[in-house]
Amino acid sequence: MTDWTEKYRPDTLSAVRGNDKARDALREWAESWDDHRKAVIVHGSPGVGKTSAAHALAADMNWPVMELNASDHRGKDIIDRVAGEASKSGTLTGGTSGRRLVILDEADNFHGNADYGGSRAVTDVVKSASQPIVLVANEFYDMSNSLRNACKTIEFRDVSTRSIVPVLRDICRKEDIEFEADALRAIAENTSGDLRSAVNDLQAIAESTERLTEDDVVTGSRDTTEGIFDYLDELIKEKDAEGALKASYDVDETPDDLINWIEDNMPKDYAGAELADAYGYLSNADRWLGRVRATQEYSYWRYATDNMTAGVAASRRESKGGWTRYGPPSYWSKLGRSRGSRNTRDAIASRIADREGASIATARNDILPYLASMTHHCHNRDLTVEMAAAYELDESEVSFVTGSGKDTNKVESIVEDAEARREGAAVEHSGDAFLDAVRSDGDHDETNESTADSEPANQQTLAGDGQSGDDEDRSNSDADTAGKASDDAADSDAGDGGDGSDGQSGLGDFV
Amino acid sequence: MFKAIVSAETLSSALDSVSVLVEECKIHLEEDGLRIRAVDPANVGMVDLSLDADAFESYEADGGLIGVDLSRLEDIAGMAESGQLVQLELDEETRKLHAQIEGLEYTLALIDPDSIRQEPDIPDLDLPARVVLEGKDVNRAVTAADMVSDHIALGVDEAEEYFYVDAEGDTDDVHLELTADDLIDLEVGSAHSLFSLDYLKDMNKAIPADAEVAADLGEEFPIKMYFGFAEGQGQVTYMLAPRIQSD
Repeated sequence: MTDWTEKYRPDTLSAVRGNDKARDALREWAESWDDHRKAVIVHGSPGVGKTSAAHALAADMNWPVMELNASDHRGKDIIDRVAGEASKSGTLTGGTSGRRLVILDEADNFHGNADYGGSRAVTDVVKSASQPIVLVANEFYDMSNSLRNACKTIEFRDVSTRSIVPVLRDICRKEDIEFEADALRAIAENTSGDLRSAVNDLQAIAESTERLTEDDVVTGSRDTTEGIFDYLDELIKEKDAEGALKASYDVDETPDDLINWIEDNMPKDYAGAELADAYGYLSNADRWLGRVRATQEYSYWRYATDNMTAGVAASRRESKGGWTRYGPPSYWSKLGRSRGSRNTRDAIASRIADREGASIATARNDILPYLASMTHHCHNRDLTVEMAAAYELDESEVSFVTGSGKDTNKVESIVEDAEARREGAAVEHSGDAFLDAVRSDGDHDETNESTADSEPANQQTLAGDGQSGDDEDRSNSDADTAGKASDDAADSDAGDGGDGSDGQSGLGDFV
Repeated sequence: MFKAIVSAETLSSALDSVSVLVEECKIHLEEDGLRIRAVDPANVGMVDLSLDADAFESYEADGGLIGVDLSRLEDIAGMAESGQLVQLELDEETRKLHAQIEGLEYTLALIDPDSIRQEPDIPDLDLPARVVLEGKDVNRAVTAADMVSDHIALGVDEAEEYFYVDAEGDTDDVHLELTADDLIDLEVGSAHSLFSLDYLKDMNKAIPADAEVAADLGEEFPIKMYFGFAEGQGQVTYMLAPRIQSD
C-alpha cells in the first residue's frame, strides 16, 4: 500500500495546491537566481507543501536535487561535507554551469549532540554557496538572525478548506472511491490547514469503507500543539482554572520552562491582590519543581502544572482584555548576561576555597561577602593589597570584589603592590631554602617532618597576624631544618618558595 | 541465484573503490559479472564499477539485485589473509548473503535495494582532453596539493602541450607539470577545471599505484577517470563534478 501523500506528491510547481502566491514567488526566485544568488527560506506549518514545492521546483527547472533532512545526521562535519560540497560544485552533467538545488529540510530543527554545530554550519554553507539553496522550516524565528538575514523569505500559509477539498476529490476519483461532498469537507475542516494530514486521513478512512460518508469521518480533531503566546493569552485573560490546565496539555513546553514564561508575563496584566495570589501559586509550583529536582519524581510535575496554570487562572479577579506584548522569559537572557560575572565570582571563590580549606560554596557565600565589605571601594587599602596578594587576584577580580572600577589607577596599583609583596615573600623563602642547601646534610625522615611543619608558615592568610608571625614560625623551622636537612629537602623547600607558598606539597617535596 | 568464489584482494579492492563515495550500494549480479553504480549523497561524485566473471575463481549468477552495507562486507573481506578465497552465496529465501573464508562463516543481512538511493545515469559527456598517467602520479599530485589547499585545478596547456595540476592555498601554492614524456599518453584539448580535493583524495585511495589511469577533462566540466584492477578484469570509472570558482 503506497502512501498517498507520496503517490500524489506534486511533480510540478503548478500542481502545488493552496499557496499560489508563495508558489509563484518560489518560481520567481529560482528563475532570477543567477541575478541575486541568494538562498531562500520557505517556512510555514507542517503539511502545507513546502518540501513538495521545493522538489517540484527542481523538477520544473530540471535541476538535480541534493536533500538533507532530519532523518540524516546533521552534525557540522556532515553539513560541511555534503551540503557544502553540493553547494560549491557544479553538476555531473553540466559542469560548473549546471545548477543543482540544495534542499535543507527542517532547517529550524537541529537536535542534540548528533547535530552538534549544525545550525552554525548551515549559515556558513548558505553564505558561501554557489548553487541555489532552499531552507525548509516550520518556525521562521527558530533560525538564527544571521541566517534569516542572509536569505530571501517565502511564507507558505495554511491551506484553506476550500483548497483542500478539490485535492481530496481528485484523489478519490483517481482511486475510484465513492464519496459524499460533505465527507470531504469534514476531513478538510478537521485538519485545520494541513493538507498532508487531510490526505492521510482520507486514506485511512478509505481503507475501511466502500463509500465515504460524513459519518465515517470520526477521526476526531487532531492533536495540535498550541503556541506558547496564544496559550499565555488564554491563561492570563480568558480561561477558567480547568480550561487553563487543559489547554496547557497542548503546549509544547516543560513545566520548568512554562513557569518562567508565566512568571515573566503574568504581571503585565495582573495587579494588586490578584497578582499576589498568582505569585503565591507560582511559588507553590516552584516548590513542586524543586521537589521534582530533589527526588527525581517527575509525577510531581502535575502539581507544579496545576499550580502555575489553574492557580494563576483562578487568581484572576477582573476581566482582562486588549492585546499585551508577551515576551520570552528574561530569566534565560539574564543568565546569559551574568555569565561573565558569575565566572569571575566562581574563579575567585575557588582560589579562596583552596587557600582557606573551605568548600567553594562556603567561600562564595560566607567568605566573599565579608571580603567585599571589608575592602569596599578599596577604602582599606592595606587589607585590599593583602587580599589581592593572598588570593592572587588580578585587576578585574579586585574590581569585582571591591566594586571599584577595573581600569582605575587605584586598582592597578593595588594589584602591583600585591604582586610585589608576593614576589618579595617568595624570594625571602627561597633565599632561606638555598641557605639550607649550603649548610645541610642529614637525616631524611626528620627533614620531611620539618618541612611539613614549616608549611603553614608558607601560607599567608588574612586571618593570620601577618608577616612578622610568619617570619617567626619560619625561623623556628629553619633552626630545625638547619644541620639536618638534606640536599633533597633544600630542593623541596626551594620549590615551595618559588610557587609563591601555596601551602600544598608538590612533587618536588618528595623527590 | 548467486554463488561465487573470489580472492579476498579482488573483493576488497572492488568494495573499496565504491565505499569511498557511499556507505550502501546496490550490486547487480549479472551473468557475466558484478556491476555497481552509485552517486554520493552530495551528488558530486559518481562511481561505475564492473568486475568480470573471469576475475572470480568461480562465478554463477542470473541477474539478481542486492543491497549491501559496504563497510560490513569490507569487514568480512578484511578477515581473510592474503591469498585466501572468499566464498559468497546468496540465500534467496532469507535474503541473506553467506560468506565463507576457510572455516569462518559469516551471514550478512542485506538491505532492501529500494531503500538505497537511486542509481545515477552516466551522463554522456564530450570531454576534449585525455591524460593517461600512472596511479602513483595521481597520488603525488593529490598529496602535494592537499598540503596547501582544499581544491585543485586540473588542466591541459594546449600551446605547450602539457598536463598541469595547480593548488592555491592561502599562503602557499603547488604547481605540477607533466609533459607527454612523463605521461603514458596525452590528447591535447582545451581543459581547465577546479575539483574538490576531499573527493579526489578519497578516489585516489582506491587507485592502485601501478594502475594506468585515464582521465578525461574539459573546460569547467566534470572529470572522468578510468582504471582497471584485478589484472584488468575489473574496471572503475569515477566521475567528479567541478567546483564552482568562487570570486
